[in-house]
Amino acid sequence: MKKIFKLAFTDFKLIFRDPSLRSFLVLPVILFALIIWAVPPLIEKYAILAPYLSLFLVVGVIENTQMFSFISSMVLIDEKESDVAKVYGVVPLNKMEYVLSRFLIPYLFTVVLNLVLLFVQNICDLSVGAIMLISFLAALVVPVYALAINSMVQNRMQGMVYIKAFNMLVLIPVAAFFVPEKFVHLFGVFPTHWVFQAIDKATQNLSIGLFAAIGFVFFLSLLWFVSRTFVQKHFV
Amino acid sequence: MIQVENLVFQYPGNDGPTLKGLDFSIAKGEIFGFLGPSGAGKSTAQKVLYKILEGYKGQVNIDGKNLSEWNNSYFERIGVGFELPNHYLKLTGKENLELFAAFYPNGKKHNSTELFEMVDLADAMDKPVETYSKGMKMRLNFIRAIQHDPDILFFDEPTSGLDPVNAHKIKQHILDLKNHGKTIFVTTHSMETADGICDRVSFIVDGKLVLTDTPRNLKSRYGKEAVKVDLKNGQSEEFPLKDLGVNPQFLEFLKQDEVKRIHTLEATLEEVFIRVTGKSLGDE
Repeated sequence: MKKIFKLAFTDFKLIFRDPSLRSFLVLPVILFALIIWAVPPLIEKYAILAPYLSLFLVVGVIENTQMFSFISSMVLIDEKESDVAKVYGVVPLNKMEYVLSRFLIPYLFTVVLNLVLLFVQNICDLSVGAIMLISFLAALVVPVYALAINSMVQNRMQGMVYIKAFNMLVLIPVAAFFVPEKFVHLFGVFPTHWVFQAIDKATQNLSIGLFAAIGFVFFLSLLWFVSRTFVQKHFV
Repeated sequence: MIQVENLVFQYPGNDGPTLKGLDFSIAKGEIFGFLGPSGAGKSTAQKVLYKILEGYKGQVNIDGKNLSEWNNSYFERIGVGFELPNHYLKLTGKENLELFAAFYPNGKKHNSTELFEMVDLADAMDKPVETYSKGMKMRLNFIRAIQHDPDILFFDEPTSGLDPVNAHKIKQHILDLKNHGKTIFVTTHSMETADGICDRVSFIVDGKLVLTDTPRNLKSRYGKEAVKVDLKNGQSEEFPLKDLGVNPQFLEFLKQDEVKRIHTLEATLEEVFIRVTGKSLGDE
């Protein structure tokens, strides 16, 4: 446990000492300001937006995950590019402990950001249970995103390209809100689809259990797969 | 301590193996060196031994136990000095050292300040590593490798990037480690480093070990057991080492003029390497 916290603490030092990463920490503040103060007057003024209330939350929740997805990805890419990753390969630290130490804090932090966002927003009424489930589910984007990117890239330049692509990938299932009902779940190949659908059902006060369950199974399976791939490649 | 038999390794996607059946052993307390040009397989062999590369064929035993059977405790027993500096640039030298120290049990660890003093980095230990020169980063690599007092040390080009003074100091520290019973595996393409610190060296070319022996044996086997005497008057002559002190021609020759230089005619390791392998240590 001491090792895990030591590494997590080091990550925060690295983030705060890198101006480009540090600036990303204000992203949630901007997002909260938009959701709390900008969106409600817009909805009030333009009635046409009313059917899309859940979309504002979908975008808010997924953008919340993007801060640590980006930061964690960049910290690991830097580590790979500078060959520091090789040092972790020769210390008595279990590789899965390493993965856990790099993502436990970003994951929990993102869960808290989502909890705050969903509790303070006044666009839709959501149950406490739904807020909890959505927050824990959506935050799984962070480790899956960063580990997937770091399983594929070798340097910062490649990383930036993949991050751009992943930013689009996580939002593609938004399109499901604009297609006929029978085609909606074609977007289920994207894991974030199940988060979006859970949020949509929650805004309608319907049960989100099924979508949340599919989402958890999907994300955790992906997490297992990308963790293994990452561990095979990161330390060499 | 380390026994390697018929070690074969091929990188995924490569046409052929990088290591083609290596056999060698390293005794406890020995400094063993792989001497060879870039791309010969020196670093790959080390990476297999410190368990970064898997999927090798052959037998690797550490203390009589198969390498694959060692768990994480193996990493408590080894220290690795990488070929290139690899540190968090935004952290200070001390923060870098202490981060990795945290992964080892407390009992045997060296005091970090003493380690910085040992390699003349005490003044820089609280500065970010991004302000260090390459030589300073390499010295930080070195103390990170030894900070947990490991039994087995792997150094990949330990004097690369160092000025002659610091290269000499690092070689001296490696010899001190040997004197404390550490088993050390060095890879280098520097003849001087291999000659200066290794008990035995293996020449490695294209993934194969060509020859293994002590530097002294190699130099005398492939050189002349003789001395060459140069006098100030320009005369020069060679004399066999055998019975040199009672060789009347040698003694007479010394009387002819002031001696400018006397030197042995043993080969350098580099000359031996070229004669044995047909390649130069600078070859890619």
